[in-house]
Amino acid sequence: MTPLQNALGCLLALGCAYFFWKPKARLVGNAAILVGSLSLFVAYAFAVGDTEFYPFRLFALALCFSTTSLQKDRRRFLFLAQIFWLWIELFGNISLYYRGYEFAGTRLVAIAGLALCSTFLSRISKEMEFCLMVFWIAVWIFF
Amino acid sequence: MAKLLRILGAVLLVPGLMALCSALQVGPASWFTDEKSFWGMPICLFVFWIGLAHAGTLLSAVFLALGVRLDRRTALLAELSTLCSLSLAVVFPLVHLGVIENFYMVAPFVDSRGIFANAGSPLVWDFCCIAVYGLLSFLFFHNHLSSRNVPAQEIIRKPFAWLLLPLVLWVHSVVSLDFAATFVPEWQGAFFPVYFVVGAVYSGLALVNCLLCAEGYRVRLLEKLMIFSSWFIGVIWGWDYLTKGVFFTWAFVFAGLLPQLLWVGAVRDSRVGRLLVGLSVLLGLFLERLYLVSPSMSELPSLGLVDLGLVSFSAGFFLLFYFGLRRFVGCFVDEGGTFFGDVDGSEMEEDLSATEPAEGDEKYVNPFSSREFRTIRLPLLLGILAMLLFTVWCLNVPDTDLTLVNMLPLTYPVLALVAGISLWVSSGVLREISRRVLLVVVMFCVLFGVLAGIFFVGYPSEESGRQIRSLSLTERENNSEKEKNTERDIGLSSSALLWNARCSSCHGSDGKLNEKFVREYYPVPNTLTLSRLDSLGEDSLYQVISRGRTNMNSYEGRLTEKEIRGLVRYMRFLAGEE
Repeated sequence: MTPLQNALGCLLALGCAYFFWKPKARLVGNAAILVGSLSLFVAYAFAVGDTEFYPFRLFALALCFSTTSLQKDRRRFLFLAQIFWLWIELFGNISLYYRGYEFAGTRLVAIAGLALCSTFLSRISKEMEFCLMVFWIAVWIFF
Repeated sequence: MAKLLRILGAVLLVPGLMALCSALQVGPASWFTDEKSFWGMPICLFVFWIGLAHAGTLLSAVFLALGVRLDRRTALLAELSTLCSLSLAVVFPLVHLGVIENFYMVAPFVDSRGIFANAGSPLVWDFCCIAVYGLLSFLFFHNHLSSRNVPAQEIIRKPFAWLLLPLVLWVHSVVSLDFAATFVPEWQGAFFPVYFVVGAVYSGLALVNCLLCAEGYRVRLLEKLMIFSSWFIGVIWGWDYLTKGVFFTWAFVFAGLLPQLLWVGAVRDSRVGRLLVGLSVLLGLFLERLYLVSPSMSELPSLGLVDLGLVSFSAGFFLLFYFGLRRFVGCFVDEGGTFFGDVDGSEMEEDLSATEPAEGDEKYVNPFSSREFRTIRLPLLLGILAMLLFTVWCLNVPDTDLTLVNMLPLTYPVLALVAGISLWVSSGVLREISRRVLLVVVMFCVLFGVLAGIFFVGYPSEESGRQIRSLSLTERENNSEKEKNTERDIGLSSSALLWNARCSSCHGSDGKLNEKFVREYYPVPNTLTLSRLDSLGEDSLYQVISRGRTNMNSYEGRLTEKEIRGLVRYMRFLAGEE
């Protein structure tokens, strides 16, 4: 996968995250959007030739992005979304490590560090939302 | 209804026990074994029941941690089903291994005795995670029951839920690594942890919905979540198909298509309809596990009587154990009849409002200042400390080639174990227990510690060590002389043939372990390096082959002395001796 395709994937996650957790949306609507997004990520990952866990990583990234637009309990779900991403990366990397791939420790440390630091946030301002998104994109693109 | 199900369980258990005895006596030859993966029904049932064991902790702990309202009755039923499913699941790896008396070999003693458990094997991770999950689920269930009568204990329930939340994901992720870390192409996928967890959550929801049908009431939220889970698992099956070309048709029909019938009002509102849909999901996911574990199995008729008997055993055991335990708990704990028993749904709203915070009560709290955090911070600190000590110790044990990545899957279970027990103790539960019971518990803990200590220093292997040491120096010299005389009698090529026939299944044809065996089946010896062979000495190696050691069988009477000497020489050749 080329860096451009990877960056496009990140953009796709950002676009899908916009539709998550809309106020007044019913549970079934939210579930349909989540499943639809995951299907889109699956199609994209298959098209760009990744056969491992790329769509699920994209899904976790989209969940992280989506937490910035939540109305309540943002800090809790911000933390949980990052832990979800960390879990996918951790166990995905362990299984890849057993097949001879390099263990992407830097990415894990970056996500874990941000998840831990984000628990210190008190009220999340618009500027902080932007900083968080920049950090996630940086982790996605560079690590 | 419960009585009927207990009878059904007993009826299913009888042929099941016969099949279990046969499986234990005859071993893997008695059940269908896949020609590609060498796995069969026991592993399939293990994965299936471990998945079902997610129901309780997932629904109760995760909902509680996220502030989703779930009535106490449903949560307790789900937690009880977790304990029963876990008790059942642990039976099957023992059946699969065949050497039940050596089950302790999968405990992570980290090669402290030379030939011992391989902490880099997912099987060891399974043992740790499931043991910790089982214990903490029991404590969580106990706290839930006792907090009804002692409201002060309610304070640890939510922190406990936060501790269990990652453990739920962790346990099944580790089980998925049993597959993902192997050499079978169909199983290699970094998405397997997600796949397994979604499947486990889905099957857990289906089980709880079936149990609720048996109880005579329904929780709409759980039905909706079951439908949504079917969508997610459908997408994951799609990804599996795109990347590997694997598609489980019948699993898709039973667990992907049929659950959509719940969109039809007549099915949704009928108790039988909901029950049939729940059972259909369970059947579909069982078939999925079966096809997954045995990739070359394309048709069900290849299952034998023992396979079907083991399925019957699992279903019978669960029904009997679950509904028996439910009755027992109901009789001795449920004084007001409000925990278990027949309900018409009218008590639920009252129970819900009494146990869960009402919506809109939430206030903003500063970071790290909530009551839950203050409750859990000390146990968590202890857990982190224990995890660090364990990891540092493991990485520094001599003669192991473990890396930090090998240890990662064990870290959280160790943390959760120490933190969970500390939290439970801190709730004041010990004050409620009588002194006599407390004394018994303490004595049991001390005894367990002493046994573990004796075990760690290598008592069971003392016999073989004593036998080796009992050889007098003269005998050894004589043996050495004999060796010189007999060494030339058997050639290296003959020894190589013998090695490949007798030894390579565990030690590998190159003497560097059969990695497939290491990862999938059982902990095996260290790599045979020249330095290790030198440190053991040729006489010791002769004795090990001749008399056996811990997990290795004795070859006395099956190999001649010349052949054994030849194997020792071949070992040195493989290790790189010129």
